[in-house]
Amino acid sequence: MSQQTLRVTRPTKIELIRLKKRVKVAKRLHKVLKDRLIILTQELIMLMKDAVELRQRVCDKVQECESLLIKSTSLIDPSLMESYARTRYDKVEGVIGSRVVAGVRVPLIEVRREGAPRESPKYPILLMLASRCFEELVDLTARLGEVEASITRLGAEVARVKRRVNALENVLIPRMENTIKFLEFKFEEREREDKTRMKKVKQILARKEGTVSAST
Amino acid sequence: MERLLRDELKAVNYMLPKKRKNLKELLNEEYPHVPLRDGSAHMFRYSELQKACNILGDELCGNLLLPIILEMRPELKEVVAEVEDPIAIKLICRVLNINEPESPPLRLYPIHLRVLRQEIGTLLMYAISFRRVLGEEL
Repeated sequence: MSQQTLRVTRPTKIELIRLKKRVKVAKRLHKVLKDRLIILTQELIMLMKDAVELRQRVCDKVQECESLLIKSTSLIDPSLMESYARTRYDKVEGVIGSRVVAGVRVPLIEVRREGAPRESPKYPILLMLASRCFEELVDLTARLGEVEASITRLGAEVARVKRRVNALENVLIPRMENTIKFLEFKFEEREREDKTRMKKVKQILARKEGTVSAST
Repeated sequence: MERLLRDELKAVNYMLPKKRKNLKELLNEEYPHVPLRDGSAHMFRYSELQKACNILGDELCGNLLLPIILEMRPELKEVVAEVEDPIAIKLICRVLNINEPESPPLRLYPIHLRVLRQEIGTLLMYAISFRRVLGEEL
């Protein structure tokens, strides 16, 4: 916490009122930033958990798909397998866009498949199972890519907002509060000085009146 | 300091949608998105749009405006998000499996937000309320 004060041009009451308003606004800004930081941090933590889980699932899926593929290649001609893979759906597209999460732009990746999958009895079941496995793998990989890119961007924003929150909490607001205390102390001191000065003046005047009346 | 506060709120709220679209309209689009104030676009996940339509039913699909704006209230001590739109409230209550409030707004706490992010994350957007933060004291 900062013990320093801000530089005040003139220690006047108007300056004190302005400073008190600034502290109020600074505290509100601090609250806004802190709320935003909480939301961003929650998003980040959720994404990190997703990323860990997705990585594990992708690894497991790769092994599963590889084993199914090896088994199906032993049953069918590779060229036939390729033609099946190409004609399984009418259209497969990867949609890459962006969305906004708490003021941060993050990527959005979606794999879309048009039409129902063509599963004919002339192909072995293992081949169909392998296709389904690879489809899931593609979906998981796309999702993992999206999540990991989002983590990078959100992390940078969290760091930026955290710096501002800390600057307000530990430097700016304490300095302003110290300056307010200093100004209030100054005014009290000034008031006390004025009181003692008035007393002295009254005493001097009273003494003068006394000497004047004594001489008359 | 006021300038800093206004700039920060502008930065957060700058990426809010310029125009919202209804769910049916978005489901008919090839790449469902809404334009944002900063000139870019916010895309929705098609699967989440379909999920929302299945939850609400065909009748209410045309009345739900997206994205759902979650208004943050920084003047409260806890992190609270409010939703004013009645159809959005219906959808959120059904996703969270909670009772609907008697009158809007619906208040959401971090535990609710976590579930909503997982289920319909791309349909939500956060906004920090400008008029309530600055208030009348300034």
